[in-house]
Amino acid sequence: MRQFIIRRAGYCLLSLFLLSLTIFFFVRVTGDPAALLIEPGASPADIAAIHHQFGLDRPLWVQYGLFMWTLAHGDLGQSFYYQTPVIQLYLSRLPNSLMLAAVAMIFSLLIGVPSGILASVRVGKFWDSAGKVFALLGLSLPSFWVGLVLILVFSVYLRWLPSSGSGTPLHLIMPAFALGWYFAAAHMRLTRSSMLDVLGSEYIKLARLKGLPEALVIAKHAFKNALIPVLTLAGINLVIMVNVAVVVETVFAWPGIGRLLYEGITFRDFPVVQGVVLMGGAMIVIVNLMIDILYAVIDPRIRLER
Amino acid sequence: MGTLVGRDDKAQSSAQLTRRDLLGVAAIGLVAGAPGMARAASPAGQLTYGIHVSMAPTWFDPAETQGIITPFMVLYALHDAVVKPTPGNSAAPCLADSWTMGQDGKSYEFLLRKEVKFHNGDPVTSDDVKFSFERYKGAAHELMKSKVEAIETPDPQRVVFKLKEAWPDFLTFYSSASGAGWIVPKKYVEKVGEDGFRQAPIGAGPYKFVSFTPGVELVLEAFEGYWRKTPSVKRLVMKVMPDESTRLAALKRGEIDIAYSIRGELGEELVKSPGLALKPVVLQGPNWLYFPEQWDPKSPWSNLKVRQAVNFAIDRQGMSDALFLGHCKITNNAVVPYTFDFYWQPPDAVYDPEKAKKLLAEAGFKDGFDAGLLTCDSSYANMAEVSLDNLQTIGIRTKLQPIERAAFFAGYSGKKYTKGIIQGASAAFGNAATRMGSFVVKDGAFSYGSYPDIDELFPAQANELNHDKRATILNKMQQLIYDKAMYAPIWQLAFLSGVGPRVGESAFGLIPGFAYTAPFEDITLKSA
Repeated sequence: MRQFIIRRAGYCLLSLFLLSLTIFFFVRVTGDPAALLIEPGASPADIAAIHHQFGLDRPLWVQYGLFMWTLAHGDLGQSFYYQTPVIQLYLSRLPNSLMLAAVAMIFSLLIGVPSGILASVRVGKFWDSAGKVFALLGLSLPSFWVGLVLILVFSVYLRWLPSSGSGTPLHLIMPAFALGWYFAAAHMRLTRSSMLDVLGSEYIKLARLKGLPEALVIAKHAFKNALIPVLTLAGINLVIMVNVAVVVETVFAWPGIGRLLYEGITFRDFPVVQGVVLMGGAMIVIVNLMIDILYAVIDPRIRLER
Repeated sequence: MGTLVGRDDKAQSSAQLTRRDLLGVAAIGLVAGAPGMARAASPAGQLTYGIHVSMAPTWFDPAETQGIITPFMVLYALHDAVVKPTPGNSAAPCLADSWTMGQDGKSYEFLLRKEVKFHNGDPVTSDDVKFSFERYKGAAHELMKSKVEAIETPDPQRVVFKLKEAWPDFLTFYSSASGAGWIVPKKYVEKVGEDGFRQAPIGAGPYKFVSFTPGVELVLEAFEGYWRKTPSVKRLVMKVMPDESTRLAALKRGEIDIAYSIRGELGEELVKSPGLALKPVVLQGPNWLYFPEQWDPKSPWSNLKVRQAVNFAIDRQGMSDALFLGHCKITNNAVVPYTFDFYWQPPDAVYDPEKAKKLLAEAGFKDGFDAGLLTCDSSYANMAEVSLDNLQTIGIRTKLQPIERAAFFAGYSGKKYTKGIIQGASAAFGNAATRMGSFVVKDGAFSYGSYPDIDELFPAQANELNHDKRATILNKMQQLIYDKAMYAPIWQLAFLSGVGPRVGESAFGLIPGFAYTAPFEDITLKSA
């Protein structure tokens, strides 16, 4: 077991190293940050001064070495734009993103799981078709459009909710719904297919043959087992919600990590983009590692096979 | 020393008040009622902004000004300058009561106002002015520091800049083309350090810093001791709202009072919304078409009539109506904005496609010609599309090549777009000389060629201390640009913003060419 964990942790570190290398070089392909910090027509001396200030006048390998060195010391660098440590910016936005993701996840599970169950027990009937339409809309409607429609209806016309910003629970409703909508559709589809698998299994047939009420068969025997893959997906989705709610956070002016990433990309703030992507990557890698370890604990064949 | 060239309007006007005037003012006060005066004296209410970009702490520190106009949206609130653009005066004495230039043009002496204080109560002194200049590290700092030999502070109210040689543009750079003339408190900065200052800035402007949450909001509160006047609005909240539709929705709901940057169809929607007002401001940023092949004798662009044809082919007003609700200013001066010193007004632009076709035929291109690429900053590809259509109408066939903004300007200044047409722009600070230095004369950062008669005038103006004589030379240069159709001017771009029903005076457009609300102390709320 220990060897298994060490091997998996090694893979994780390798993944993070490759991610750091990729994001470091990719972000530099986007262009020169100085061009966005100064008006066209500025003197070459002013442009050179900005390059020097940000260390962009050094060779790439030196820049990467410095980046990794500071990273090894728990420092994600200093934001070009905000002139603030990236870790400080990240941690200031993290609670907002966690809150948004948590509520969005509750929305998505409350909508996705019951509708998935309903669709699976009414296969080919109205609720199944309605579920398919819901899933299609959820997965295909862009979240910025959903967000803008929500603002138009609930904020501008009905005046029930604030259009944007943060600070009160009311501010959270629309962005959480816009973010959770897509994931609700994903959860609905997985719940439906997982339930259908379980409902077709032998032990469910046995339960029915024993004369158990259908509600009990579904709620106690089928749903519990069908929920495992849904919760696994929900865990990964939660990490994704925290880190990549770029569009929703921008539309609703929600001060989370997604918007920090958007700002980093907009201003070519290399340290911010690198920091946010690496932190997001680290979260996903850690969650996957934990899932791998849990699987290995539950099923010893897994650790022996790998 | 030399001639008095700057003086405070307020001081002048108050010096001329007679006893009869004072009695009249007192009578008006009695009739108008004391509460009105009390309201004017004591700031009240809150005004909320929806800001289109995320604010950075560097915007709170004049030393970091990097030559873009955006940070001035905050600098005008938090800080004050020795000399700066104010309503009706592009270089008005502010923290200075007056200033004089030495006869030889090698020194500038500023007499600071007495009793002017920073937000922490410390007086603004000549030491602060010297410290702020020496600390400045933003745009053009190397240029300015290379020109200044010494800064003398004979007493707390007097500061003298000694230049190495006469430099007619000193005041242009000190007052508007950099942040070097914006004053920070020396003692406070030394006490709290650079980072400490950015986290809790103290200035001499009309508003005090209260709090800043990166990416969320900046909160400011009126500084009742501001020298020019006590601000009318007690509290300003600048909320970052990156999405344009969201800003408009928030404005409609009354969640914000001022929404920066509402363009195109959303601008039309704003105009239709009851209670809301569109506030267009013409920026100091002209757009133009440029012909980099005009110095190649084999190219059609070397023919003056071809370039003139383009000038007649562009439907500037139609383009402005379609894209900016008709608010762009068509000056017909390609690179120099009308707000700049030494601006020359060319004849009006004329849209006449038939005349354009005739000119093309006279140039030997009756059936037009293939002009290659029309390269532009992708942010303004919509403008370039209209130009492309206009050119197509007279037979000049071109293909659009939109390039991401930073890459475009890097390529433009790197002289990579040597063929076809370039659609360019600049909103850099300065005056006619600095603008032509970059875009017109030989070795300019964006010059793909030049004309000797224009080039020889440039050094002549650079050392000319007499303003009128200098203006004559710079006007002549602009006239030559027009005569040679070196550029096809489009317009000065309009920046459209929205204002809600609670706002009395928004202060948009009070400072010509400035996109945002300023001076902040002039802003009023109807209900306050």
